[in-house]
Amino acid sequence: MKFAKPLIITLVLSAIAGSALADSVLSVHAPYVRLMPPGIKTTGSFMLIKNDGDDDRRLVRADSPAARIVELHTHLNENGVMKMRAVPHIEVKAHSQTELKPGSFHVMLIDLTAPLNEGDKVPITLEFDDGSTIELAAPVKKPHAAMPMPHR
Amino acid sequence: MSRQRYWIAAGICLSVLLVWLAFFWEPDIGTPTGHPGPGTLRPAGQPMGGDFTLDSPDGKLALQDYRGKVVLLYFGYTFCPDVCPTSLSALGQAFTALTPEELAQVQGVFVSVDPERDTQEVLSVYAPFFHPRIVGATGTPARVAEVARRYGVSYMKQKPVDDRPYTVDHSSFTYIIDREGRLAALLPHGAPVADIVLQIRRLLGDKGKPS
Repeated sequence: MKFAKPLIITLVLSAIAGSALADSVLSVHAPYVRLMPPGIKTTGSFMLIKNDGDDDRRLVRADSPAARIVELHTHLNENGVMKMRAVPHIEVKAHSQTELKPGSFHVMLIDLTAPLNEGDKVPITLEFDDGSTIELAAPVKKPHAAMPMPHR
Repeated sequence: MSRQRYWIAAGICLSVLLVWLAFFWEPDIGTPTGHPGPGTLRPAGQPMGGDFTLDSPDGKLALQDYRGKVVLLYFGYTFCPDVCPTSLSALGQAFTALTPEELAQVQGVFVSVDPERDTQEVLSVYAPFFHPRIVGATGTPARVAEVARRYGVSYMKQKPVDDRPYTVDHSSFTYIIDREGRLAALLPHGAPVADIVLQIRRLLGDKGKPS
């Protein structure tokens, strides 16, 4: 097997290059964790994930030391009935973006390890299907701040 | 012989079906549809509205006690991680946008469909978090179910996955009740804050208009 070694080296190199590239083409914007009333141990994190790369990517896992369980979720609105369901992944298409927002995709933080206060930074690690990860610190915000105000 | 048996069986099946259609089939029109089964929501009926009495952290809460005010009613549960906070925040923001005179004539009520976990203690902190003018209320499962039925609210506790807290699928409308206690409007989930303000002002009429 004369070609085996160069082939493996090439594969390994391209894999490293690939993941390094993926790291730079995926970006997270305006992440936040929703401040919940005192005593409530479940909340959600929202953000915009951009993919400037040529390949579709999938967010496959999220993790945080702030909660016992971290899951990817979405909402299905079936004739006004809101059903929250865990999803195996959240897709971010090539040269596109996916918004994790209230009533839609979100990172669920279940069983918070400590109460969260407004302004706290929650460390969250996002893992994508190419093995790349993004670390972020999402500030805790009141739900009000995330919505536009009406005119008086 | 077997052919004859087949026709008899088919006849019986058809009669049973006809009897069921005649006596038990109640088609729901314009309500959520689904396939009732374990963990699935049954379509709720049309909202009729009407008075009810539940328990709140301040004691008995009766809708009839709010006559003269516009009441905004929302059904949910406090473990609800996204849908309820979104709706209640919108409600809180709408209240914030009102003038003090208008606000004095408005009341928000958050009815928990999860009395198992939502004690009065939990509700006393949860509801006012979104706006001091929102009060939490719940009751025995039977009473909550009766109020929900009258307002066309459907909800279904979901089987928990592993050791996760259970979630509750539920319809997410905001019910607006006029000064006379009649169900006047129904806002869908995600209704803009401006729409809620508009509905409140419409029902407050001249009395609520800022001078």
